[in-house]
Amino acid sequence: MAMAQSNELQTGVYKRALLAGLWEQNPTFRLLIGMCPPLAVTTAVKPALTMGLSVIFVLVCSNFVTSLMRNLLKPHLRIIMFTLNIATFVTICDLYLRAYLPRMSEILGAYVPLIIVNCIIIFRCEACASKCGLIVSVLDAIGMGLGFTIALCILATIRELLATGCIFDLRVMPRGFVPWLAMQMPVGAFVTLGLLLGLASVLTRKKRS
Amino acid sequence: MLKIKYFIQQSWLLIVSSFCFGLLIAASNAALSPRIELNMANKLNQLIVVLLPAAKEFIPSDVDIEVQTGTGKKEKVKIYKALSDTEQCVGWSFKAAGEGFSGKIELVVAVDKDFEKIAGFDVLTSSETPGFGDQIKMSYFRSQFAGAPAEELAVVKTGEPTKIDSEIVAITGATVSSEAVVNILNSFISSINKQMKERGLLGDGTK
Amino acid sequence: MDRFYVLLMGFLSVVLVNNFVFTKFLGTCPYLGVSGRIDSAFGMGLAVTFVTALSGTLTWLVDYYILTQLGLEMTRYICYIVIIAGAVQLVEMYVRKFFPSLYDAFGIFLPLISTNCVILGVCLFINIWGIDNLLEVVVLSTGTGIGFAVAICIMAGIREELIMADVPAGFQGAPITLIAAGILTLAFMGFAGMIK
Repeated sequence: MAMAQSNELQTGVYKRALLAGLWEQNPTFRLLIGMCPPLAVTTAVKPALTMGLSVIFVLVCSNFVTSLMRNLLKPHLRIIMFTLNIATFVTICDLYLRAYLPRMSEILGAYVPLIIVNCIIIFRCEACASKCGLIVSVLDAIGMGLGFTIALCILATIRELLATGCIFDLRVMPRGFVPWLAMQMPVGAFVTLGLLLGLASVLTRKKRS
Repeated sequence: MLKIKYFIQQSWLLIVSSFCFGLLIAASNAALSPRIELNMANKLNQLIVVLLPAAKEFIPSDVDIEVQTGTGKKEKVKIYKALSDTEQCVGWSFKAAGEGFSGKIELVVAVDKDFEKIAGFDVLTSSETPGFGDQIKMSYFRSQFAGAPAEELAVVKTGEPTKIDSEIVAITGATVSSEAVVNILNSFISSINKQMKERGLLGDGTK
Repeated sequence: MDRFYVLLMGFLSVVLVNNFVFTKFLGTCPYLGVSGRIDSAFGMGLAVTFVTALSGTLTWLVDYYILTQLGLEMTRYICYIVIIAGAVQLVEMYVRKFFPSLYDAFGIFLPLISTNCVILGVCLFINIWGIDNLLEVVVLSTGTGIGFAVAICIMAGIREELIMADVPAGFQGAPITLIAAGILTLAFMGFAGMIK
């Protein structure tokens, strides 16, 4: 009986860890961390998806390793440990992209190594992986990564649709549609993200009241 | 001795994990770098093949050619000789770069085997204004260069874009970007042409 | 004189035309967080300038003289980030000892800075641009930091005014800042083409 209850508790904890990153603690829309990639790589859906998947990979690996090491970390050296950890996996990810997805690697350019300083990853290592068990850390990483990817894709879809009328090279908008070139430029990025954040904030308030 | 012991006690994890991470990176690098190099070589070749359809093979010529760029710096340019499947020279290609309206423009240029006509160019990197300067990538602008003489080209505001001669019609609203492309081509082609003639690379291309 | 002109143009380009916040979207996190008031924004900008100047130069030196000579390019990112962390520590110690009043002005931001995208961004872009002389590296890295400082101070000025404005409840804070930043970007686009 006690075993069954503790199992249920465990699954509850796991489920919460996985789902938190999707909306409640969505890094882009709620926590407002890791805001550089949503602005930089969302000109089209493909790069946004690639970036999202890379971040998931780095998040999962670094949370995994950090969680393994969590009891051995010395407090004043932990940030540099996290950073080295993350830098290693980002290097591996970058090498992989350059080898197997060279076009995407070119488009993403310097933003792949900039994943190292993406606040999301360090934040999760600090807040979760260094304190929780292996499975919870990995699930949290997947949840956060998925939330981030979804946010990126929403932003990218809007921008690509309005800027070129196509998604993944499929024409979606009618022929007479005049492309909103501003969406391809930095202006479009900032304003769209600002509007989406405003929307998210309004939805949250409505839910609360 | 005590200091060293304290040091090791505090940082052994850092040292051990740095070592492990280093190994991981070295292993991935060893596994993936052949593929990366292949990609880099292929990328340029793919673009050139579009411009010189008869080309099957590209050999970098090992002669040092230097071009003075717009900023006054002398840069080394690598010239590729394009060979057909019968080992005949069908043209030459090289990377050219210069300042555009809002940043550096990098082109890959192909010329015919006697350096008399431009086969065409493609844009490798540029950060021009979307909708205006960005149109230098479009075929309606680039096709004006296919077959144009490899001499001093001039930019005109209005004219006949389908007529292939040394006059290039600028993109409406993107005069600076159009002029930038033409300037890059002019400086690189004339300089490379001169140096190649000096070194006897033109002619039947036995080198 | 020619050389000086090139450096000056490079500096202006990185501060105005290719401002790292507005065209490369780097440093957005502290940009949103710290631009509430002009004095904190100025402190942050100053701290970032110090660190970018130092780490840009150091990373370029290490890359040029050590990494490329020994063929260790794959460890580039790790070396960069370690140097940046070290540079931040150095700057903090130096400022705390010699300029204690300055330390009070921006002391709390210094540890935050090591995860600032701008710093790593500067080092990476200098690498991508293939700059090959030390003076240009120093000018460009300092310029980037100053560009960030300019951007964040302008934003702080705007936000101080925005507090009086009638912003809808859901949009207060980050959303309206981002929209304002977008409009700022449009303004800065006017600088494009300024430098031949």
